[in-house]
Amino acid sequence: MSSLVGFLSLVFAIGINFYLFLSRYIFKFQKQKFNLFIRLSSLLTLLSFFSLMYAYVVSDFSNYNVFQNSHSNKPLIYKISGTWGNHEGSMLLWLSILSIFSFFFSFTKKIDESFQRLTLIIQSLLHILFGLFIVFTSNPFLINSILVNEGLGLNPILQDPGLAVHPPILYAGYVGYSIVFSIAIAGLFQNTDDEWLYVAKKWSLISWTFLTGGIALGSYWAYYELGWGGWWFWDPVENISLMPWIAGLALVHSLMMVRGEQAIKKWIVFLSILCFSLSVFGTFLVRSGILTSVHSFAADASRGIFILLIFFIVTGFGFLVFLLKEPKKSNALNLLFINKVSALVINNILMIIATLTILLGTIYPIIIEVLYNKRISVGGPYFNSTVIPIMIPGFLLMSVAPILSWQTNKINNSKKYVLAFIILSVLVLIQSYFLDFNTWGFIGLLLGFWIILASIIAIFSSYKIKINIKFFKIINPHVAHIGVGIAIIGITCSSVFQNELDFNLNEGDKFIVNGKTVLFEKIETTNEINFQSLRGKFLFDIEKNQSKEIEAGKNYYPVSKMITSEAGILHQWNKDVYFILGDQKNNEWFVKVLINPFVSFIWLGVIIMMYSGLIAVYRR
Amino acid sequence: MNRIFILTPLIVLLVICIFSLVYLLSGKDPNKPPSALLNKNVPIFESSSLYNSKDIIKTKDIKNKKTLINFFASWCSPCKIEHPLFFEIQKKYPELYLLGFNHKDPPSDAKKYLEDDGNPYDFVGVDSDGLIALEFGVFGLPETYLINENGKIIYKFMGPITMDILKNEIEPLL
Repeated sequence: MSSLVGFLSLVFAIGINFYLFLSRYIFKFQKQKFNLFIRLSSLLTLLSFFSLMYAYVVSDFSNYNVFQNSHSNKPLIYKISGTWGNHEGSMLLWLSILSIFSFFFSFTKKIDESFQRLTLIIQSLLHILFGLFIVFTSNPFLINSILVNEGLGLNPILQDPGLAVHPPILYAGYVGYSIVFSIAIAGLFQNTDDEWLYVAKKWSLISWTFLTGGIALGSYWAYYELGWGGWWFWDPVENISLMPWIAGLALVHSLMMVRGEQAIKKWIVFLSILCFSLSVFGTFLVRSGILTSVHSFAADASRGIFILLIFFIVTGFGFLVFLLKEPKKSNALNLLFINKVSALVINNILMIIATLTILLGTIYPIIIEVLYNKRISVGGPYFNSTVIPIMIPGFLLMSVAPILSWQTNKINNSKKYVLAFIILSVLVLIQSYFLDFNTWGFIGLLLGFWIILASIIAIFSSYKIKINIKFFKIINPHVAHIGVGIAIIGITCSSVFQNELDFNLNEGDKFIVNGKTVLFEKIETTNEINFQSLRGKFLFDIEKNQSKEIEAGKNYYPVSKMITSEAGILHQWNKDVYFILGDQKNNEWFVKVLINPFVSFIWLGVIIMMYSGLIAVYRR
Repeated sequence: MNRIFILTPLIVLLVICIFSLVYLLSGKDPNKPPSALLNKNVPIFESSSLYNSKDIIKTKDIKNKKTLINFFASWCSPCKIEHPLFFEIQKKYPELYLLGFNHKDPPSDAKKYLEDDGNPYDFVGVDSDGLIALEFGVFGLPETYLINENGKIIYKFMGPITMDILKNEIEPLL
């Protein structure tokens, strides 16, 4: 029953969008009615999504998708997240988020009516494309042909609270760029005033903030679930999300130029199209099964070709319109040696180069396999040695960029900055001398601290300190950059200064980690609802009274015959102590302990960046 | 000049799409990586029989005959699924040499497994520490290799073989 409701509302929603698209050429109707239809289609799409969710919650195994991906023993939260824990459901989630964005966009008041309508029509087109993709190749409402009373379970590695919310947030970022894309295309068709740039800015900030959150959640999940002790692996799927993120960052910064009346429209339009194209490209790579990862649910060539077609149409259409309807010449840029405009241009160039470098590394294996039938993998070494150096000048620049002037080369209080930079360099050099000197460690720490320090100097010397909302809005760019600085410190410390210790232990053994005595208490196996767990229990710092208990181990999921590793992490503000329980050999357990200094700074930095993103949305 | 700049994204798009399309249409499956060993000589191995530790098989023993090598274990449930197919192969191609490698298994478990489900192999070699599997580049159990008379690996399959795979991919090579 719920399957039928879901399928019908999905089809009706596509129908309405088709009708709306035709309305541009055949039947005209008023704004009110138009917006009502848009909202109706959004609600129908959501109804469709929630009926699928309902089928998951009540474990309705007459639905083939539920049968394939759920199990009645699963906890409720994973039944709900199971809705998008598979290919079909996640595409429906994608479409639902697209509708939600259209829904909210239909309430925008500040822009020209016909412009808004055109934007929504482009959204409708996207809705039709993805809707048809779902109906024809990935229908989540198929009826199970056999009568069953139990399902086949969900990929156990996805049974995790962090991951339950990761896809919706990430998708909100990806799909949010659809609105930006539609706005930009509508802007090309209708050469209205530049009012739309403000609207685009708001939506691109929203998307970027969601994308940041989604990537961070995925990364955090990889950190504690995959059990490798790292949080970023330059996995193709991670790269895919990083590309629109960097391009989106360039877009957000370019849109800042609107304030200085130096709108470089052409560039903004290009970035808007690029961001959404990269999002769709990412969806294609993941969903077609070209890449293997925890994200590729099923490889099916017809799906891949269909979504490749969508990618081709959307991107081709976008760039073709861009080619044919090139924006009129905008104001000449006031480029000086170092002013805000030149800083933004440099920043944009660097970000685009970084994006292209990642793109090349990500698709290179595909090209090689097609040409030479050889499988290669492009991983960390390539990206670390290309992307990071490209970004370094940008990091240097961002410390002072927000206080640069639009018109002149002058930097207020420049002496303070120079002095601060010299003192900081010496301090970091001394610090690195006493620790093991490491070039990347030195550069990373210097950059991170410099960005934070320069931003703080800028805040204190350029503005009057007041505690009100307006003040927080003014200093927002600096706050965002402080977040980046903190994240850089976290990234540098946790990767360069990571420490690895290996032990072979019996139960009851004591060993030393970082000067603290740790007791390997015991191994415990228990039966949980849908898995069996094996846990090694460790007591950290037993010499103190409040020793901390850490559990590391593995889960075995009998339904899908999968084993997942569960790292035991002791979080401290300045380091994570990361325990991995390995195999048992000759009655000894292999235990790996990683000391990751300042990992928490990465998450703190990300949270600050997201906070700034949100503050900036409210800013005009 | 400006025109070329704006055309670039379209050209890049086209290139990416063409390569992706060729990739998709070529039926490549990321779950089946092209084996580095394909069309190469069989790795050098030496293994003793499960039933008689003095009975030893070496690489040169399988020269001059077509050999199907299968890595299996009693703890591997997909192996159980493909197991009956080897009897069919044995019946249909009596001259094909069926070599099974028992992977990281206590001998008693392996013997019991072959007692319960039957033993289709001409020779069951022991690979208790998994070193032979390592030489062959085994990803996971079961895995099956077809070796021609010249000692070259001509086919590799990861996972349990099925009737379809036997008919469409292995039999044409026999």
